[in-house]
Amino acid sequence: MFKLAFKNFLSSSGVKIGIAFLIITGLVSLIVGNQFLAKQAENVEATAAYQKAHISKNVQYHPDELGLLLYYVKFSLVNQTERINSLSIGQRDVNPSIQSVTIRGLEGQKYDADLQNPSNLLLGNIDFSFVLIYLFPLFIIAFTYNIISEERESGTWKIAAVQSSNLFGLILKLFTVRFLVVVFTLFLTLFLATTFLKIPLNTRFWLFSGVSFLYILFWFALSFWVASMSKSSSYNAVTLLSAWILLIIVLPAMVNSYLVSAYPVPEAMETTVKQRNGYHEKWDMDKKATIDKFYTHYPQFKTFGYPKEDFNWLWYYAMQQMGDDEAAGESKALREKLAMRNRASTRIASFIPSVHMQIQLNEIAGSGLSNQLRFMDETGRFHEQLRLQFYPAIFKESPASSQQWEKFEIENFSDNNMTSATSAALPLVVAILLFSVLGWVRFRTMVS
Amino acid sequence: MPPQLLIARNFRSNALKNTAVYLLILFIGILITYAVITSWSGFVKQNETTAHHQAETRHDWLDNPDKHPHRMAHYGNFAFRPKAPLSIFDSGMESFFGNTIFLEAHKQNSVNFSEAGFSTGMLRFGEISVAMVLQILLPLLLFFIGFTSIAAERENGTLKIILTQGISWKQLITGKIIGLAQIAMGVFIPVMLVTFVLWFFLQDGHITSDETVRLLLVFLSYGIYLLLFCVIAVLVSAASRTSKSALVSLIGLWLMLTIVLPRASQALGSYLYPAPVKVTFLANIEKDVLKEGDSHNPDDIHYKALKDSLLTTYGVDSTSQLPFNYSGFVMAEGEKISARIYNSHFDKLLRVYDDQNSFLKATAFLDPFVAIKNLSMSLAGTDYRTYTDFQKQAEAYRYAMAQKMNELQIKYISNKKPGPNEKPVVIDQKHWEEVPEFEYVQPMVNTVFEHETTSFFALLFWIGLLYFMIEILSKKLKVN
Repeated sequence: MFKLAFKNFLSSSGVKIGIAFLIITGLVSLIVGNQFLAKQAENVEATAAYQKAHISKNVQYHPDELGLLLYYVKFSLVNQTERINSLSIGQRDVNPSIQSVTIRGLEGQKYDADLQNPSNLLLGNIDFSFVLIYLFPLFIIAFTYNIISEERESGTWKIAAVQSSNLFGLILKLFTVRFLVVVFTLFLTLFLATTFLKIPLNTRFWLFSGVSFLYILFWFALSFWVASMSKSSSYNAVTLLSAWILLIIVLPAMVNSYLVSAYPVPEAMETTVKQRNGYHEKWDMDKKATIDKFYTHYPQFKTFGYPKEDFNWLWYYAMQQMGDDEAAGESKALREKLAMRNRASTRIASFIPSVHMQIQLNEIAGSGLSNQLRFMDETGRFHEQLRLQFYPAIFKESPASSQQWEKFEIENFSDNNMTSATSAALPLVVAILLFSVLGWVRFRTMVS
Repeated sequence: MPPQLLIARNFRSNALKNTAVYLLILFIGILITYAVITSWSGFVKQNETTAHHQAETRHDWLDNPDKHPHRMAHYGNFAFRPKAPLSIFDSGMESFFGNTIFLEAHKQNSVNFSEAGFSTGMLRFGEISVAMVLQILLPLLLFFIGFTSIAAERENGTLKIILTQGISWKQLITGKIIGLAQIAMGVFIPVMLVTFVLWFFLQDGHITSDETVRLLLVFLSYGIYLLLFCVIAVLVSAASRTSKSALVSLIGLWLMLTIVLPRASQALGSYLYPAPVKVTFLANIEKDVLKEGDSHNPDDIHYKALKDSLLTTYGVDSTSQLPFNYSGFVMAEGEKISARIYNSHFDKLLRVYDDQNSFLKATAFLDPFVAIKNLSMSLAGTDYRTYTDFQKQAEAYRYAMAQKMNELQIKYISNKKPGPNEKPVVIDQKHWEEVPEFEYVQPMVNTVFEHETTSFFALLFWIGLLYFMIEILSKKLKVN
């Protein structure tokens, strides 16, 4: 009986074309993901090579003046790209995955934008998350909108109703067949992803697959509910498509513009301006006052006293430090504002399955805003550590040869933070239960 | 009354009997209101912040005490990007552009703080704007209304009656198109009136002819765009056996045109023309600059030749005897070289981006949505061209500022280095105002014609194509 239902469903050429289309776009998304990983790797490799050459060139140019040498030298920190990142590129194409900083003021460096073609960003990537979130639901709609209505319209439903002792079981079977075919397509694509993109089968991957499965189930539950209202095929198609438009185009756009106006970030410009003034004004101010402030921040360096020369590197780096210190308030406010935005959007998203999926997939893949924020925090720590390491040598006026330069390779940040399975799955499970129960109740009353 | 208009009136009144249509129009109205309010407040806020910071940093600049001009060149300036008035209509790529750039000597900084950089994944679903509603949702509404236009007449047998009454296929099709177009214009014209009023007030009545031309072109091109969708809806309905199949084809078409094709063609472009990563881009510039001349290297050939020629010209034997500031002269030369090389690399990068975008541009001939999208962004001043124009103006300003400071150094700073405990050399702060304030000038509308010729031609092509299709189908269509 089941076998027959499968045969019936798969015999339609429309269904075959639909499945083929999903598999092909799935494959395209894997190619896109592969190119993304290659570009990330190329970036890391080029940065590592550059840093090495850059350090040795500068050491050669400025052998005696460590302060001047470190004015130029950039050190890079890499936000590691998980293999699974290729399935959900998220914000990784907007935000740089590598931060290269000198030990000068951090606030003037850490927001530096990456090079990118805005047209690519505007239209978005065809990554797997796009195929899953946008395209799978469309085909679920196409495969299910006329399950019962069509038979009713052509008059065959009555025959089926008379012949079948368990009408509700028949309905369930029709849905199950379609569900199994779509889920098979999903897992086939994910399986190909693991082999082609060498994605490790770790917790991240299983969570990723699990929520993807739930998302598919959600759309089936929605369609099941719509079918239970026993309207015409055209009505079902329009209703389901409207739901798709609402969930994928209208609501996300509305929520986004709400977030932008509810959490504006004027702190961004303020931080930059403050940082610039905080540092530059010190050139025209009393040196001792600046150095005193520096010693308040770093009492451990007090032993270096107050150098006599008109220009000295202790004073210079104290001035640089003042740029960061004076912008610290704004910078912290900016960081908090972004965290607030992230929390608000995660909260709102739990009511909009499509957006919830995108945000959770980005979280799992390490390509969302929260990953970016943690990377920025880590950049701060990385920068601070470099400063503390070099300051004593600079203040002592040690030569460049006092440092082991070959030790300074690019460093990696690996983000171990991951969303819990509950927070990723729960909103979807609730939505699935809601629509299946609604649909079930309706069908029961209709059948009896 | 000619039969087409009768058919049109009939179709329109029938369609408007359906309460669902009113609900959808109401929904679109609410969306547009929401879009207008948020983009209005965004525009006001951003331009206020921009103007505030621009004025504040100008004040800071002028407020600097007497100092060495090279210190001033590093004190630098900021350029803040203002929004174009029509961005309230089409936000285009705005969110992906940086808003702040720090301009200093020797260094081309990136334009930072784009909205996208501060965004969660949500932005990537797209943004709401009047243009988005007109480009994506209104065509779908027209499909929802238009799918029954002829197919339903065929299904319930009235088609035969109409055609036997002496009405030709062409009259029937044009009649239905006119009816659908009237509904489209009923939504479109009020929307444009609202846009006009907002646009007028946002500019405080200082309307330039350039902005007016832009708005008129927006009006015209969207009018054409919506008509195209009316024609497509009626033609597909005429060619379909049942309304249901017309609906399914139209929905499929809409998805292809608005979601799949644009993304796919852009993805193909960026796949085929990979752009360099930032570190490589900067390293290449650095390499080229060093090749030309390294001012830090005492044995560099370029700077050595420069020095020797100066010494011969002035008949002196060391640079400290020159009648002007030698290190200022060297910096001016360095700035000239590095700026030229940076610009040439930047232009090369832009050409790679152009190549990436060329697929999408050409797709306009397959997809009117792409044509209107590109054209609309360009007219609204929210496209990539306008942004690179901002970057170029900022770079030109940066260069002029740095060279002005070098010039002041050459002229006023003594060639003799002060001793370790002498007072550092400075110049009077009155010179700071010799650097004008940065003022961004929007490019003129004729740049739109230059860059968006493809989109213009694509719209014309679509008019021709659909006209041709009406002619052909009028001859070929059958009653059943």
